[in-house]
Amino acid sequence: MVNDKINNSPTIRLKYKKSDLIIKEGDYGISIYKIVEGKVLIFNESKDREIPLATLDRGEVVGEMTFLSRITERRSASVRALEDTEVEVWDPSRLSKEYEHMPPIIRYIADQALKRLIRMNKLLIKLYTKKQREEEERALGEPLESRRIYYRKEVDLHCIYRPVGSSPTAGLTGRIKDISFRGVGLEVRPKSTLKFSHEIGEEFHLKAFLPNGKEVDFRAKVLAIRKDRSPGRPFLGMSFTDTTDDAKKNLGFFLMP
Amino acid sequence: MPVDRLMQSCIAKEETFPDGATIIEEGSKGDWVYLILEGRAKVKKRTAKGFVTLDTMGKGDIFGEMVLLETGRGKRSATIIAADGPLHVGILDSERLLKDYDTLSPQLKGLIRSLTIRLREATEKICAILVESR
Repeated sequence: MVNDKINNSPTIRLKYKKSDLIIKEGDYGISIYKIVEGKVLIFNESKDREIPLATLDRGEVVGEMTFLSRITERRSASVRALEDTEVEVWDPSRLSKEYEHMPPIIRYIADQALKRLIRMNKLLIKLYTKKQREEEERALGEPLESRRIYYRKEVDLHCIYRPVGSSPTAGLTGRIKDISFRGVGLEVRPKSTLKFSHEIGEEFHLKAFLPNGKEVDFRAKVLAIRKDRSPGRPFLGMSFTDTTDDAKKNLGFFLMP
Repeated sequence: MPVDRLMQSCIAKEETFPDGATIIEEGSKGDWVYLILEGRAKVKKRTAKGFVTLDTMGKGDIFGEMVLLETGRGKRSATIIAADGPLHVGILDSERLLKDYDTLSPQLKGLIRSLTIRLREATEKICAILVESR
């Protein structure tokens, strides 16, 4: 930030570089900024999530909510420069006087508009957070039970796997019989049962090619073992413990209904 | 002057709408500003997937003011419907409102204008999320 204050100048102008923070949520301050050049984003921060509330352009004003609400002097949202931005700082005390002398009916209307904006922002934050949480759950593969079944696909894929911590050459093989965002059902080759004893709680690196030719790579833990599906071939119910972003993406495309 | 008396002095006309009646239709033209004297009203927006309710207002709430405060966009931004029974409203004297608004300094006007722009943007964002998640 370059402070452009000129001595005794009636208007103060401040310059910000793209992505500079102009106002920080929770900070104290009642100054109002008019955007002279550039563009800013008003956003709310809740639990590490950034929720965009509004984008304001040249000629528009930020910081007005704190000024108008008068209840608190804490900033209700953050403001960041989306481009190199120049703002004009308005003197809140002078504006305060003007506000007091504003025709009461207009003041009443402005107060009502402010209250509604506060309500709408709350609703927006609520909806946005809910939507993001749903998206994350979907990506993590922990959606509603019904959805999980919906997304599980029957497959028959050749799979190479090895216990976590072993050398990459310790190749065991099997066939993935079903796959979801959450995990796989793996049928172990008889030969592999001789090389390694498969127990509940064991963690493996798995690698397979989806029918669309995309490779997926993940870590999964054995949650259940069934021995009655086909003789000599234990069936492992496995839950993903770690999937790469690429694997998630490929799996996402493949599992899309 | 207390707010009630002050508002009373601005009311040009009073009107009552039955439950479910549309007072303002989104997209229509009009510059009347309403004050709720009794009853409740729902704020709705038309989306690609039907109407969504954004807000419910009650006694003392103002609606229709966005047209007044955000000059140059004379179209109603939302539909207002009487809810949970009849709605009694006062229609404010818009000539007087405009005259009063014109006495404001450019800075105060800018301040209020930003408020309505943000209100509009918040409303649009809410609609977008609601449409996506349906």
